[in-house]
Amino acid sequence: MKNLHLYSLLLCCLFFSCSEFEDDINVNPNLPSQASGTQLIANAELYLPGLASSPKGEFMAQYLAETQYVGQSLYPEESTSFYSYYQGPLMNLQTVLISDDISSLEGPVPNQIAVAKILKAYFFWNLTDRWGDIPYSQALQGSDNLTPAYDTQEFIYTDLFSELKEANAMMVSGDIQNEIIYSGKMEKWRKFANTIRLFMALRLSEVDPAMAQQEFTAALNDGVFESNDDNLVFQHLAEENNQSYWYDQVVDSNREWWALTEDLVEEMKPVNDPRLEVYGNPARASGDFIGLKFGEEDNIGTEEFSLLGSAIYAQDSPVYLATYAQVLFAKAEASLRGWINEDAEMNYNEAIRNSIMQWTGSEDGVDEFLAQDDISFDADMGIEQISNQRWVHLFMFGYEAWSEWRRTGYPNDLEMPNGREIPNRLSYPENESFNNETNYEEAIERQFGGDDSIYGHVWWDVD
Amino acid sequence: MKDIRVELNSSATAEIAGNFLPKQNLYGAGSSLEFPTLDNGDPYVQLNYDESWGPRMDGTPVRQVFSFYPQDPTYGQLTPFVPHPDNIENYYETGWNFNNTISVSGGSENTTYRLSLNDTRIEGVEPNTHLNRNNISLNASLDILENLRVSTNINYARNSAIRPQQGSEFGVAYVNQWFQRNLDMERLKDYQYDDGTFLHWNLETPNSETGEIDDFEPLYWNNPYFEAYENYSTDNRDRFFGDVSLAYQLTPEIEITGALRSDMYTQNIDDRTAFGGKDTPGYFIGKYQNKEMNYELIGRYSKKFEDFSLDGTLGGNIYNRDYTYLSMATVGGLTAPGFYNIAASIDRPDVTSYKLEKELRSFFAMLSLGYQDTYFLDASIRNDVSSALPEDNNSYWYPSVSGSVVFSEFFDSETLSFAKLRASYAKAGSDLSPYQINQVFEVGNVYDGVNTSYVPDNLNNPFIDPSFAHSYEVGTDLQFFGNRIGVDFTYYVQKNKSQIISLNVSGASGYGSSTINAGLIQNKGFEISLTGCPVYNEEFRWDVLFNFSRNRSEVVELSPDSDVYPYDSSTYSSVTTYLNSYEGKPFGSLVGQAYQRDEATGEILLGDDNMPLYTDATHDFGTVLPDFTGGFQNTISYRNFSLAALIDFQGGGQFFSRSKQLGVRTGQDPITAAINDRGNNVRDPVEEGGGVRVTGISASTGEPVEAYVDARSYYRNVVGRRIYEEWLFDASYIKLSEIRLGYTFNAEVLKNLPFKSANIALIARNPAMIWQEAPDGIDPSSISTGAQNISWYESGQLATVRSFGINLNLVF
Repeated sequence: MKNLHLYSLLLCCLFFSCSEFEDDINVNPNLPSQASGTQLIANAELYLPGLASSPKGEFMAQYLAETQYVGQSLYPEESTSFYSYYQGPLMNLQTVLISDDISSLEGPVPNQIAVAKILKAYFFWNLTDRWGDIPYSQALQGSDNLTPAYDTQEFIYTDLFSELKEANAMMVSGDIQNEIIYSGKMEKWRKFANTIRLFMALRLSEVDPAMAQQEFTAALNDGVFESNDDNLVFQHLAEENNQSYWYDQVVDSNREWWALTEDLVEEMKPVNDPRLEVYGNPARASGDFIGLKFGEEDNIGTEEFSLLGSAIYAQDSPVYLATYAQVLFAKAEASLRGWINEDAEMNYNEAIRNSIMQWTGSEDGVDEFLAQDDISFDADMGIEQISNQRWVHLFMFGYEAWSEWRRTGYPNDLEMPNGREIPNRLSYPENESFNNETNYEEAIERQFGGDDSIYGHVWWDVD
Repeated sequence: MKDIRVELNSSATAEIAGNFLPKQNLYGAGSSLEFPTLDNGDPYVQLNYDESWGPRMDGTPVRQVFSFYPQDPTYGQLTPFVPHPDNIENYYETGWNFNNTISVSGGSENTTYRLSLNDTRIEGVEPNTHLNRNNISLNASLDILENLRVSTNINYARNSAIRPQQGSEFGVAYVNQWFQRNLDMERLKDYQYDDGTFLHWNLETPNSETGEIDDFEPLYWNNPYFEAYENYSTDNRDRFFGDVSLAYQLTPEIEITGALRSDMYTQNIDDRTAFGGKDTPGYFIGKYQNKEMNYELIGRYSKKFEDFSLDGTLGGNIYNRDYTYLSMATVGGLTAPGFYNIAASIDRPDVTSYKLEKELRSFFAMLSLGYQDTYFLDASIRNDVSSALPEDNNSYWYPSVSGSVVFSEFFDSETLSFAKLRASYAKAGSDLSPYQINQVFEVGNVYDGVNTSYVPDNLNNPFIDPSFAHSYEVGTDLQFFGNRIGVDFTYYVQKNKSQIISLNVSGASGYGSSTINAGLIQNKGFEISLTGCPVYNEEFRWDVLFNFSRNRSEVVELSPDSDVYPYDSSTYSSVTTYLNSYEGKPFGSLVGQAYQRDEATGEILLGDDNMPLYTDATHDFGTVLPDFTGGFQNTISYRNFSLAALIDFQGGGQFFSRSKQLGVRTGQDPITAAINDRGNNVRDPVEEGGGVRVTGISASTGEPVEAYVDARSYYRNVVGRRIYEEWLFDASYIKLSEIRLGYTFNAEVLKNLPFKSANIALIARNPAMIWQEAPDGIDPSSISTGAQNISWYESGQLATVRSFGINLNLVF
């Protein structure tokens, strides 16, 4: 019977137009045609740990040295793609921001928008710090603009400040659902937004101290992190789909490729830093903490040096992205700079205390640690001490530590592998030179005289 | 009653792996020229190195990998560190191919039938690989009435296989890329000890206190035999296809045919990642079902008037495709060793259900006119309506017209026995796969009850148009001296307008690619075919066939947003190479990292460490497509013997070889252990006369430099890792692709036998590469890896297989 029907359809087609199909024949049954605001936000959050968990970032800050296949840590001149951030989290967030049918069933719509704004700003801030000028105001427009122009870092910073303030201002009471980081608690998001402003402001200390101070105090007044409970932490889970990057590398892929650097161990071991046992494992050959010289190519191996700590590469390890200790280090530095009227030493001590609590889960040994000559605060060497301790604290978020190194110059005794200096930025994705040629060329001409090198300086890195 | 004809065709072929990449046999596993030592002073092989930058293989007694397995007879012993020059070759076995076909045909006054059965069994050259195939086909027709005929054609095809895996990370292909020259493949062959422990070669460093290995889980690579016998993938497919048609002769001129055509298959694939290897154990299973139906109704009118002939066809067709699959994979490991089942998944398994439906409705009309068997004119028009296109723009029309003149009819020439000129224009419309119109989202990971969703990387396009290929063709067919010499020549231009492509775009737009109608992609070229019969007599005949073709492809116009069509890319160790097409340049440019060169002299620029400097991966090395391809066939028949040889050739084209590159990077390639111009091995310390000689211009001083650099740093970190210019090879070749020697038995000989005819032949396929521009060990005639539409890079190429066999054909 069915065939008969088809033949009559055929006959009919010979004489009449028949361009009508069943309504849903070209509707993809395999993928949803709608996504809720919180589903998109939650997916963007899955990209948060990737901001930190990257060997390249750890090499930039010289936290880790390569035990085998030395190459990436020798600072090769190579491009690094930013596409996955735009195509991944940023496009999800942008979709929330431009949507006109966000459902309030998953929490107040303004709050969903505010969280999307904050996360978008946070990702863009990380990107601009790494690459310099990047596509921003014309980005994420899909077919409306397939070749977005690059905005200056200065413009991006200015706009991110105002976006974050706007997010803060638009929040209403009521939590949002289906959210990974803060279980939808808006007060936490508010503090996070202001904390990002605080960190961004500090980043401008060299290029525009006046603006830096103004934004810093504004952020502080709006309310930043007040304890480690406020930290932006991505907690991995003990399952394959949500496991940590380092578990995938060290355990699943059998890559014991990373040892603590000699610089890091030498900074921590002489002062009995309680965090060292978390950061690394004792060397298997000696049972002692021994760092591997960064960039060393010949005298390397897995037995003689302290490899990455078991807790760091645990399947369900946390990834710390924005922390209370950083806020305290920032306040200590701002006090020294005279931006705020607070006690630098107290903030410095509290920063270290909270860092040790964050990493070891206890306050044990903090007071003894702080009492040591090399650690106890000396205002004359304040910036250096704060910066070095911040470097120790930021372990495993190498990109952030590297930004702070670029800003402050500390630690000032890092290695130059084969005589090569530490890079000052990441080079743009090389396919931008053909996917987005005009804008790419304009951006590198404007900033670096036409050379897209890893040694160009971004706007705030006045050096 | 027609004769019943029975035909039997049998062949047996041996398959032999050949053409291996040359390797050095002086230095073994490791990263330095000295052995590390255990606490007791015993030197040992650096088991954690999958490279051959280690000590000289001079017979020094050392602890080799086998000596760390307590189950091994050499446990704890020092054995000589020596090369195994054939370790890669030793992995391959002789493969076999047995192919048997029997067919029966016959019929009666109002019936015809042909039944054919085939059985093919192939054992591959790699251990534990096979392919079995069976085909059954039945063609039959029955005249129900004088003017009503029903005919059918039913085929069943099944296959089941364990196939060799290809690509750099799979199976055994990695050994050309990452391996130790000291490994004895014969020892690895017994890959499991009696207590069940698997033997691997790439292990962690021995415990420095005990001198023992604490964990025998391999690091980066499994034993190739473990890959073959434990980590295999099976697939099988059952396919039915065929048609039933009913033809009714209404009048002598008019015939009406209704036909139903069907093609359907079910395919099962499973894949296991075994316990005891480097990876988390896992299991994957998928079932794929495809059903395609065509319902066709055609009316045909054909009539011959005095000098005219007329053929007209009017028809309609409905095409319907229904494709579904279910696939499942375990996540996070398996609960019970050896139990390969989705139920054993530790985490929630990953499950996909997929469904695709598409319909295409067509209407067509064709007209053929002939005059005096000299002038011919054909025209057609077709309308397709596709369910995959946007609803308001889903119908498209396309015509064709062609004409030909047999101008040898105008004169009577001994020399020119047949001559025809033809010209045609055809437009062909096409649509796209379903579901590329509307915005969709993807389902993301679930995080502790929080479900996620994301925007896909490809931007669907609700405004997509159908695409059209316009082909213009002229040609001639000439036969001289009573068909002793023939020339067939065709020149064509094909303009693909608004071709539907997925164009890579700047990721900053939020998408990685966008489905668009490209402006104009053009092909043009010619094909020439020459046939000749230089000698021809009762006993001896020599036939020659020569083909030559040349095609030029170019993106003339792409899109308002872009003038580069990035077609494909490949990334390894953070270095990417691209296959791009640039507007106005030949299609398919290979783009990657080249040497930085001094503008004035073209010399290579060197850094302060005397290592060559390289560009970004934006250097255009030119098109990968060949200038020309062709074949040359000679067939000589002498009495009952016939000898045929087929040569294929290609001129130009290029490709990038990752196997060659990595072979150099990992210290396996002979150039990494060559003698330099100072008479020392390049691996000897530079200060002792070793090192690789580099010349160029210093980038910082502008002065010419001549220096020696450490071989390992040079090959491993710079040239073998970043400078792709070194690993591009010309793809030209001349290949002997087949030789066949046959013997046909005389009728008299068969008189007392039940055969009507009998032929026996010896066949060698792919017996030899006569000449190639690319280095030995890489076959430029089969560089395609996986799903590449355009062959542009080689990685983990399967071994070249040469086959030698015998074929018997009997007709009863």
